[in-house]
Amino acid sequence: MPAMPSPRSPSEQPLAAHSDELRRGIAPQDETRLFLRLRRRMVTSTLGHMLRTARLRITLVALLSLIFWGSLFGIFYEAFLFLEDLHADVIPMLFNAFFLSLMVMLVFSSGILLYSGLYTSREARLLLTLPATPDAIFAHVFRESIWFSSWGFVLLGSPMLVAYGLVHDAPPAYYLLMLPLMVSFVIIPATVGGMLCLTLVRWLPRLRLHVLTVAGVLAVALVGWLGWSAFSQNDADRLTTSWFEQAFSRLAVTEQRFLPSWWLTSGLMEASHRSSDPQRQWAALAEAGAFLAVLVSNGLFLQMLAGMLARTWYRRGYGLLAGEFTARRAPQASWIDHAIERLGSKQGLPLRLLLVKDLRLFRRDIAQWSQFAIFFGLLAIYFVNLRSFHYDSSYASLIGSLNLGVVGLILSTFTTRFVYPMISLEGRRFWILGLLPLRRDQIVWSKFLFSVAGSLPPCCLLILLSDRMLGLPGKAILLHEIACVALCVGLSGIAVGLGARIPDLREASPSKIAAGFGGTLSLVLSSLFIMPVVLVAGLPFHAEAAARSMGGSFPWLAGLLGVFAASSGAAASAGSLIFLGLLAGGMPLLLGIRSFRRLEA
Amino acid sequence: MIEFDHASRTYGTKEAVCDLSLTIPAGELFALLGPSGAGKTTSIKMLVGLLQPSKGTVRVCGHDVVRDPRSAHQRLGYVPDEAILYDKLSGREFLWFIADMFGMDRGVTAARIEDEIVAFELGEFVDDLAESYSLGMKQRLVFAAALLHAPDVLVLDEPMVGLDPRTVRIVKDLIRSRTRDGMTVFMSTHTLAMAEELADRVGIMVKGSLQFLGTVDELRQQLSVEESSLEDLYLQLTGRGAGLPATAGNA
Repeated sequence: MPAMPSPRSPSEQPLAAHSDELRRGIAPQDETRLFLRLRRRMVTSTLGHMLRTARLRITLVALLSLIFWGSLFGIFYEAFLFLEDLHADVIPMLFNAFFLSLMVMLVFSSGILLYSGLYTSREARLLLTLPATPDAIFAHVFRESIWFSSWGFVLLGSPMLVAYGLVHDAPPAYYLLMLPLMVSFVIIPATVGGMLCLTLVRWLPRLRLHVLTVAGVLAVALVGWLGWSAFSQNDADRLTTSWFEQAFSRLAVTEQRFLPSWWLTSGLMEASHRSSDPQRQWAALAEAGAFLAVLVSNGLFLQMLAGMLARTWYRRGYGLLAGEFTARRAPQASWIDHAIERLGSKQGLPLRLLLVKDLRLFRRDIAQWSQFAIFFGLLAIYFVNLRSFHYDSSYASLIGSLNLGVVGLILSTFTTRFVYPMISLEGRRFWILGLLPLRRDQIVWSKFLFSVAGSLPPCCLLILLSDRMLGLPGKAILLHEIACVALCVGLSGIAVGLGARIPDLREASPSKIAAGFGGTLSLVLSSLFIMPVVLVAGLPFHAEAAARSMGGSFPWLAGLLGVFAASSGAAASAGSLIFLGLLAGGMPLLLGIRSFRRLEA
Repeated sequence: MIEFDHASRTYGTKEAVCDLSLTIPAGELFALLGPSGAGKTTSIKMLVGLLQPSKGTVRVCGHDVVRDPRSAHQRLGYVPDEAILYDKLSGREFLWFIADMFGMDRGVTAARIEDEIVAFELGEFVDDLAESYSLGMKQRLVFAAALLHAPDVLVLDEPMVGLDPRTVRIVKDLIRSRTRDGMTVFMSTHTLAMAEELADRVGIMVKGSLQFLGTVDELRQQLSVEESSLEDLYLQLTGRGAGLPATAGNA
């Protein structure tokens, strides 16, 4: 082999003579600027790429966000109109409770995001080998985490605050101060979350998951206790003045002057104050400004403190945690794996082995099961509290249908995010699967069975819980359960079928696979499928309620609705639901299997 | 240039690196060999500041990597076994980011980036986003980034993984010429032929301890084997496991 041309300049220049002049080191303020420039470049590049390749997804996300924002705004507007007339004095208490709950959630979410960005990401591994200061790395990761953890807060909080401003006829300064107040508030819990994360990893690296679990359980228990004591232990008639008084007097515990949620509430209340007296108006505005200053100064102080902690503990904690990852015990097979492997015929063993493999991967992927547990856990808490609202039968039937829809929508996000990428993720292991004595159909079927078996028990239990708490009759419960099975089968079929039809075998990241065209299509088709299922499941009972209410005025319409409401109507609904489930699950699955058989990996 | 002074690192109860004492002077190319799990990567992680030693110290150009990591990193270039890049940055943007992080003069940087692009033949793809690069392209870019600031010490963890023969040759030539200029290279590798071809000294680690330290000729002498390749010597040494002391005066 001929000698390669020697690299030009870098190799020819004498090293030691000029290297210290070449790399002069970076000043702290330049470091911050550099990280900001890095983030800006990546965001510009990502947005440009998305605008070129994922217009459908962007449009869909923007549209859904707009619908979500508009719906929330409408609900809050009506609620504030009602409260403003009768119970205006409870609004600060409501805001306090709302912002306190969000504050707790922000501490957890930003702490978890910072943990992942600081200790487990590849970026951290790169930055720690460069001459970057630990506090600058912390600030860089913090900026990203605050964006991810607070956009939900702004999406949820802004319609509420705009609605309140309009109902309360707030001056323009209220709207101007709204965003700075919210942003400066968010920085406080996010920084506390970051400090807790740094402390936990530095001092309790082995017990980090245990501490997080205990803290999470305590937080959920606290919120549950507050909700329970405010609404369930309320003996007054629902939505009456005394009911509100009782409920909010119990929430008064959230009104603590040392809490940032109180500073935010007070700032907003002062900013929303309108007075014909200019002196009073200015005084209220100055008070709002003072609360903003309190939020900003506390946020900055905590940031300084977090920077100091990062400087002292980040590198040390990273090293300790790296040791923990390496020394982790080998996971052991669970009894359920053995049971699945042993139960059934010999012919079905390859399929069952694939199921066991996916079950193990699911169990060991904290991101998957923790999100599953959080969302379904929150739904369960909400469903348990339904009984305290004492809905009448027609309203209970409507709420039951909406709950069915909510369970379906949450399940559809899980099937899109976690089930849809499963076939694509096998791409890198295709050489293993391709050499095993199993048919490709079995790979697709195993994913489908895994998804159905994993979603059926929690979804059916949740629907049973919701319907029981609402006091729905047995016939309605049975129909909702059939709808739930149809949803699980249909949504699993859509996700697995499309995953096999449009796989992305080169991508290793499940979130990127789910965010692509196929994932978006899966989400859209899932939403379109949920709508008719919910409508068909609710039709007999809503028709019955409607027939009852309009029997006197429109007897012909009541008669027509009665047909849907009768037992035959319920049976037809059940049949339609089974048909919908089989159609939505079967069609994409068959298309996916056919395409997967021909796939050249 | 590089000093491991009685450095140890434990993972729970397991001692991954045990009492490592090693000095590598300026301009030396040192290859660390050993079976998987021997402690090579842990040693490298301690050297680049990703792990702190449980006992002892590690210094780069006299700077303790735990007490003064910034000064140590300023003099260090690192090529990990797995290329870490920003997917949404182009290769050129990544090189600029690294140069800015080392506080390099922007006027000089532009010329040096062009030099690295030529040296590692990055021209065809350097303005594309890194997410579209193959493994080899990524590794070439990481090499270019590691050498951009003319480090005094270059740390290479399995450097030839994913590189095509032409790039392997470029890298070998580059390492040779940079060590002639005074750069110290600390390389962990499984490619024994490359260690034999390039290294001034080799160290063989087994179960966290340095079992041999010296030149390949010294290893032959120590094992009393003439005309054997490094591969034979390595297998003989690691096959025996613990037992052979480090040659005096080298550690």
